[in-house]
Amino acid sequence: MKITTTHNDLLERLQTVARVASTRSAIQALSGVQISAGPEGVELRATDMEIGLRTPLAAEVERPGEVVLPARLLLEIVRRLGGAAVELELRPEHQDVEIVSGTARFQVRTLRAEDFPLLPSTDGEHTVAMPAQAFTETINRVSRSASRDETRPILTGVLVSVDGPSLRMVATDSYRLSVKQTQLETAIANGFEANVPARALEELGRLVTTGTETITIGVTANQVIFHIGNVVLSSRLIDGQFPNHSQLIPEAFDHELTVETTEILEVVERISLMAQKNAPLRLSFTPGELRVSAQTPDVGEASDVLPIPFTGEPFEIGFNAEFLTAGLQSAGSPQVILKLISPLRPGLIESADGSGFLYLIMPIRLNV
Amino acid sequence: MAGLLAHLDLDAFFANVELLRRPELRGLPVIVSGSGPRAVVTTASYEARAFGVRSAMPTVQARRLCPQGILVPPDLDAYRSASRAVMAVVRDHIDIVEQMGIDEAYLDITGLVTPNAALRRLVAEIRTATGLTASVGIGPNKLVAKVASDAEKPGGFVRLTIEQARERFAGASPGLIPGIGPRTVERLSAMGITTLGALGAVDEGTLAAVFGPRQGPQLAARARFEDDARVEPERAVVSESRERTFEHDVRDIGELEEILGVLTAQLCGSLRERDRRGRTVRLKLRLDDFTTVTRARTLGHATDDEREIHGTAVELLREYRPARPVRLLGVGIAGLSAGDDQLTFAL
Repeated sequence: MKITTTHNDLLERLQTVARVASTRSAIQALSGVQISAGPEGVELRATDMEIGLRTPLAAEVERPGEVVLPARLLLEIVRRLGGAAVELELRPEHQDVEIVSGTARFQVRTLRAEDFPLLPSTDGEHTVAMPAQAFTETINRVSRSASRDETRPILTGVLVSVDGPSLRMVATDSYRLSVKQTQLETAIANGFEANVPARALEELGRLVTTGTETITIGVTANQVIFHIGNVVLSSRLIDGQFPNHSQLIPEAFDHELTVETTEILEVVERISLMAQKNAPLRLSFTPGELRVSAQTPDVGEASDVLPIPFTGEPFEIGFNAEFLTAGLQSAGSPQVILKLISPLRPGLIESADGSGFLYLIMPIRLNV
Repeated sequence: MAGLLAHLDLDAFFANVELLRRPELRGLPVIVSGSGPRAVVTTASYEARAFGVRSAMPTVQARRLCPQGILVPPDLDAYRSASRAVMAVVRDHIDIVEQMGIDEAYLDITGLVTPNAALRRLVAEIRTATGLTASVGIGPNKLVAKVASDAEKPGGFVRLTIEQARERFAGASPGLIPGIGPRTVERLSAMGITTLGALGAVDEGTLAAVFGPRQGPQLAARARFEDDARVEPERAVVSESRERTFEHDVRDIGELEEILGVLTAQLCGSLRERDRRGRTVRLKLRLDDFTTVTRARTLGHATDDEREIHGTAVELLREYRPARPVRLLGVGIAGLSAGDDQLTFAL
């Protein structure tokens, strides 16, 4: 393999692809980036076996071939090169790739190319075209609720459902549940439902820029493949049945309070400063008033009040400060409706503008 | 200001609770113990101790030493409620109390104007309120107080400075010090060290060579009654468990699962009583060859749910599949928290 490319394009493409390369795999080749030079051009590829990424590189191919080089090292090298053009040449007798740019020369030992897996591709059959901005906007509203706990893999995903003109995403870490229903401008013919790792969707969010209009999505039995321009992001789907979230949402609530999102968010963020070390945020409702308070042993305490259209018997409920903040931030509407039942039942934050956002949050049982 | 501590230790606690309930046994050698072939003595009255009966001794052996001993089955609920009554009296008098188990406590009495008089009043009041007697040791640290409370049991009342403690116990076996067990006593004896006086005077390097750089110097320091542990008013309870040693080894996994059910029910009853929930379920097994095995699984949330804890313990048991008969089975929960607790969806 021998190719010549520009420094700018190589750096930009490597920055995109290197993030996906594995950082902790037993298979060394997975920490690498594969450079594939063929008659159709050059492609950079990386995968950690869960997520895969392929991106084209504008280059002149002098000799076709494939090599795998350590991703982080290659990125660091390219970042520090001075010349406008970069030449990469495989030297089989040395099992290395020589990188030449300006007067600088590097010889970088290759990783075992045969260990690098084939990345999945769509057969072009079950693909749908999706408005890029609506899709990533929906991701941003729910992905924070996905679990980071690998011991329950099913909860590390976001359930993505496409049905006609309706796009819905659901995520839960068992403490809170986010649901966002987005109405698409045009109906989509081939609907699907898939549990996609939240990590893959967050990666997709980075690849979609303001200029991206449409992405295509292909779903196979165990993979989802996104085309974002000429970049291809693939991800393993999470096996198993995603929990039935609709049964978690109570049918009726005792209190429904419409509040200005920024007003309550400001108070919550302010008082959260004193809810450290998993200390709960206390919400005390009395007629006409919400008092938010927090106390961390050995740190201090804080409280603030907010007028609120509450009526009925006063009650107090505790929430994790971070979870409550995330829910209010994700609502994305000027007003939210808070729906509550009692101190030990889940509370619901709903966007008040009918934009289809629900955030159900389990309380913290307060000791006193 | 130099601190002053007291160690309060109830005398022959279980036996005395039994004597209160059955006064006809007073003056007789009472041995509190189960009656199975593997039972051990939980407590013996001082009359039984005169025959050489000691706590933790196999009951079979205790019966041989004291055939006229009266065996009383232990009634833990009665002891717990007696203990609560005693500790309530203690807390009425002293602010900083560190309870160490069911029948002893360290009290911080720094700053009391007449500490001896105050503690004599406390002991008298415990006796009036509960009928139980206690021994008291007073000293500048926990170690002196503890050894002093034990020195003249029952009904002891001993106050010592560090120097007085060193002098008084110089000729005693190192085993007198809590934390120096029979194995250590044996190893010390092999080095020619048989008294606390000798141990306190040994060059630290010599001890470090045998017992390691940490434990060696610590042994000598403790022999000199040096101790800087403070009275911690609330001992953070981090785990709780229930276990049972069988009269006959159990081979059948179904039977083990059933016993786990009983132990879990007891454990959960206690958790609920104290409003505690834990995150890690632990299974403990001792096989007939005395191999002890523990297995644990951490749940994503704190629980006191009997079905959940039993289910997890059974899973751990099935995964381990004991290859030999089991002589002891236990279930425990760790990562305990009380009060504030993040609730989770039932997923």
